[in-house]
Amino acid sequence: MNSGQNENKLAGRSPRLIGFLIVFFSVMLFYVYRLFTIQIIDGDYYLDLADENRISIVQEQTKRGIIYDRNGIVLARNTATYDITITPADLPEDDGDTQEVYRKLSELIDIPVNNGEINDETVRMYSECNTDFGISQVVYIASSLSPYNATGIRCDVSKELAMIVQEKAAEMPGVGVRMNSIREYPTGYSTAEIIGFLGPIPEMMQDEMREKGFLLESDQYGYAGVESSLQDILSGKNSRRVVEVDVGGLQTRDLEPPREAVPGYNIMLTIDVRLQNVMRAAMIDTMDFYNRVSVTGIITEDAAGIAMNPKTGEVLAMVSEPSYENNRMTRYIPAYYYQQLSVDQSRPLMNHATQVAQPPGSVFKIVTGIGAMNERVVAPDQYVFDPGSIYMEQRYSPNDPGSVQEYVCHLRTGHGNVDYQHALAWSCNIYFNKVGGGYGTEVPEGLGIDRLGQYARALGYDQYSGIELDGEEDGLIPTTTWKRVNQGEAWATGDTYLASMGQGYVTATPIQVLGSFATVAAGGVHVKPTLIREILDERGNTILPFTPQMHWDITKDPKIMIYDENGRETDEYKTVEPWVIEETRKGLRRVPQPGGTAEEAFAGDTHESSAKTGTAEYCDDIANAKGLCQFGSWPAHAWTAGYAPYNDPEIVVVVFVYNGKEGAYLAAYPVRRVIDNYFLLKEYDAERAGTD
Amino acid sequence: MRQERWRNFDFWLFGVVIILCFFGIVMIQSALAGNLEVSINSQILYVSIGLVFILACAFFDYHYLDSLANIMYVGIILLLIALRLFGTAAFGSARWFRIGPISLQPSEFAKLILIVRLAKYFADHDNDKHDLMWIIKSFALDFGIVVFILLQPNMSTSIVMVVLWFSMIWASGIPIKSLVLLGIVGIFVVIGLLVWIFVSPETVPFVQEYQLNRVRTFIAPDPDARYGDSYNIDQAVISLGSGKLFGQGYGNGTQVQLRFLKVRHTDFIFSALGQEFGFIGAMLVIIVLSFMVLRIIHIARNAPDFFGALICYGIATLFFFQMVVNMGVNLQVLPVTGLTLPFISYGGSSTMALAMGIGLVECVAVSSEKKNEIT
Repeated sequence: MNSGQNENKLAGRSPRLIGFLIVFFSVMLFYVYRLFTIQIIDGDYYLDLADENRISIVQEQTKRGIIYDRNGIVLARNTATYDITITPADLPEDDGDTQEVYRKLSELIDIPVNNGEINDETVRMYSECNTDFGISQVVYIASSLSPYNATGIRCDVSKELAMIVQEKAAEMPGVGVRMNSIREYPTGYSTAEIIGFLGPIPEMMQDEMREKGFLLESDQYGYAGVESSLQDILSGKNSRRVVEVDVGGLQTRDLEPPREAVPGYNIMLTIDVRLQNVMRAAMIDTMDFYNRVSVTGIITEDAAGIAMNPKTGEVLAMVSEPSYENNRMTRYIPAYYYQQLSVDQSRPLMNHATQVAQPPGSVFKIVTGIGAMNERVVAPDQYVFDPGSIYMEQRYSPNDPGSVQEYVCHLRTGHGNVDYQHALAWSCNIYFNKVGGGYGTEVPEGLGIDRLGQYARALGYDQYSGIELDGEEDGLIPTTTWKRVNQGEAWATGDTYLASMGQGYVTATPIQVLGSFATVAAGGVHVKPTLIREILDERGNTILPFTPQMHWDITKDPKIMIYDENGRETDEYKTVEPWVIEETRKGLRRVPQPGGTAEEAFAGDTHESSAKTGTAEYCDDIANAKGLCQFGSWPAHAWTAGYAPYNDPEIVVVVFVYNGKEGAYLAAYPVRRVIDNYFLLKEYDAERAGTD
Repeated sequence: MRQERWRNFDFWLFGVVIILCFFGIVMIQSALAGNLEVSINSQILYVSIGLVFILACAFFDYHYLDSLANIMYVGIILLLIALRLFGTAAFGSARWFRIGPISLQPSEFAKLILIVRLAKYFADHDNDKHDLMWIIKSFALDFGIVVFILLQPNMSTSIVMVVLWFSMIWASGIPIKSLVLLGIVGIFVVIGLLVWIFVSPETVPFVQEYQLNRVRTFIAPDPDARYGDSYNIDQAVISLGSGKLFGQGYGNGTQVQLRFLKVRHTDFIFSALGQEFGFIGAMLVIIVLSFMVLRIIHIARNAPDFFGALICYGIATLFFFQMVVNMGVNLQVLPVTGLTLPFISYGGSSTMALAMGIGLVECVAVSSEKKNEIT
């Protein structure tokens, strides 16, 4: 007890005690400083991290709209793929029971219970649905990441297996089947140029799409066809919930009012898939025939065609051959296939009906004809003499000494005296050269390129048709200014000669050519071509019924600018007189009849068809590379446009065959077949409607 | 006599302990957040036992400890040996001693016994020459317990015990020359250990892999870790920071209630209260804890003899060190350890042992009547 009486060395101001207190206060001051830094200075930063922990945005994919043809045939729909999943949090609590679940599941889906070693490296490499790990390993990783979410154990299994697992899921707590939606195109290749395909959301669009609530990893985006152009209508809206989650991923409450998923609209197209198939078959058959009989090897495999109702603008068929198999792009876009399509000279990913402009050739003569009639360059019954070839002096500048060019008719002996209707029927080049560019005293003043352009634009050339497909080409109707700027040369009469028959600088897409013939067929009404018949909601109610849209009526709406006597613009406009259209219609009616250029293709026609053939000389990179561009014998594209019946046309068809040589054959035969089959189908539908 | 004793009973200290315990229970209640393994009622029980013990100490003369010190010292060593031989292995270390429904950690009580034993040694040898033998003998006394704690293994308690020894040898007047020598030896030992841990962790004795990982995580954190220690300390500092000035409110701390913060009722309770009560709340806790330590130092100053003063001083060191280490982990300035925040963290042995410590301080306080009368 003696020690207890020791002097207290720590009493009062003991230096050792003060040493302790210095340490104490230093540490406490440092801690207060740390606390202040963390809570006050960096507080907002840590609050963001805390919110990142707890706030989770849950989005569920909505259903993309289904695409039908005009008769309700499904052209694009959603189909399911199945994944077998485990939700770690739902597994039995007892380890033995969990192992039992693994064993049962392992037997069913053929994935080992244990496989692979868990370590930093392998865990980092792990990705769902793409791993060699056994079930336990996958669950181990999943339960440390998000135990309340289903994790794929085996993905993309057959529906049968999915059903079996689903049935037995009751005795395997935690096991489930997850359904994913992918696109399927029942008509595949037949309608690929119209429907298009889907792919991952492109990088350029990602910010915008994320803002709209799309899931960058799982949502798809239209890459071509109506899948692309009608993306916004088809896609709908994903559901979006901002929820608070706990550390296990369990949702505790909504932080914002939840937004329900809005399914995409279903779309009924104007396409008749039967006519679509007919058109493709007709084009392929015809090309095959000429390829086989050709002595110089394959002539062509590339073609485009469109069939439309000229009064309503409903596109019944649209073929761009060769096309592609869009069903191969549904799960992902296979690189080798895409590569193959991209380098193909025929450019199968392009829709040749709307995205490629070519010289229209003689089908363009209706523009020159209507212009010449309406401007009274010649009277419809006035004869213009066709000797077979004419000579024209070309001057490209005032000081140009000029050179003499020969312009020939396809009939070298000449058509003799030709009036307007027969000029169309025979496709007389010299007639259109002369009325287009003028010829001495016989046609003192031709239509001229500027006025020709007015009529071309009134008939839909040099502008977008407005069809619901992306990337439309607008072609070219040259003007004097255009040539000066782009070619550095003055406009010459010879240029007008070429333009008058759709050659030279003139280019047009098949849909533009179709539009001009539809306008003539419909007596001057220029409709907007459309692919959309109806927009339906998910229950099949019509949201937007079909209403034809007219661009204008050239006989009523003044679309033609008047030029004064010096050829200057006046900013005054006039219409096309109805008799001009009527004369043109009469001329076109003669084309398929004996003596006309489409006589053979339309032999025995019973639908009062009208038509116009065209053979457009061209020289592009491909032809040039093959050494085909020899002066005087250039290769040629084949065109034919036609409509029927004469009195009240209900179908207008255009077919373009790349390098198809004679329009009267390679293009005219398919047009004939489409028109015939259109009426056959009409009859068949009427019969069926009658018996039902 | 009894009335006089009560007059010297330090109500300030007792009051502060009650406030801390009450706040601890309130905070644990919030921090449980669905954790069913821990019951708030047991903490209330531990606190009650602890408070009763503090009051009971008022009737106890701490000088009895002088004669009891050796018995307690040997007793705790025997208990630790028994625990080593027959103890239940829980949480990967044989630390628990079960009496009926209550599991006790003898190591918590060993800290107190060590303080008493060292206080006796330094008081007894106060008049001896403070030479190397004096240092080595005291360290041997310390190491007699530490070796069994290390074997458990329990790194943090071992460190606490070495710190207690160092603090008490400092207070007992270790010559500065020896201190410098000790400092150099200490630095070499620490550096040597760190090199050992990083170069060849599997050969380090007495420590578990998880402990080494904690040290490694602290010095070189893995930025990709999604679980484990580095995740836990990240979540702790997020919790603390997101409380900002006023906190998110009691029972509303998102990190706490949604359980992103782990071991939030013990190791990380400071972060939990920091999120719910903000900078103001955390500061109040620091101030109250500091007041408690300073109050114990105040009692040490007024102790009637060196033995009593050293007991108080040792216990002040214990509280100071525990709060510094616990808060340091939460403030991301120290690696993760299992030390509790005195009276606030959940834990039976810790709460009761620390209450006993306060009880010993009160013992000293009530004995200091004479001095108080004079001043």
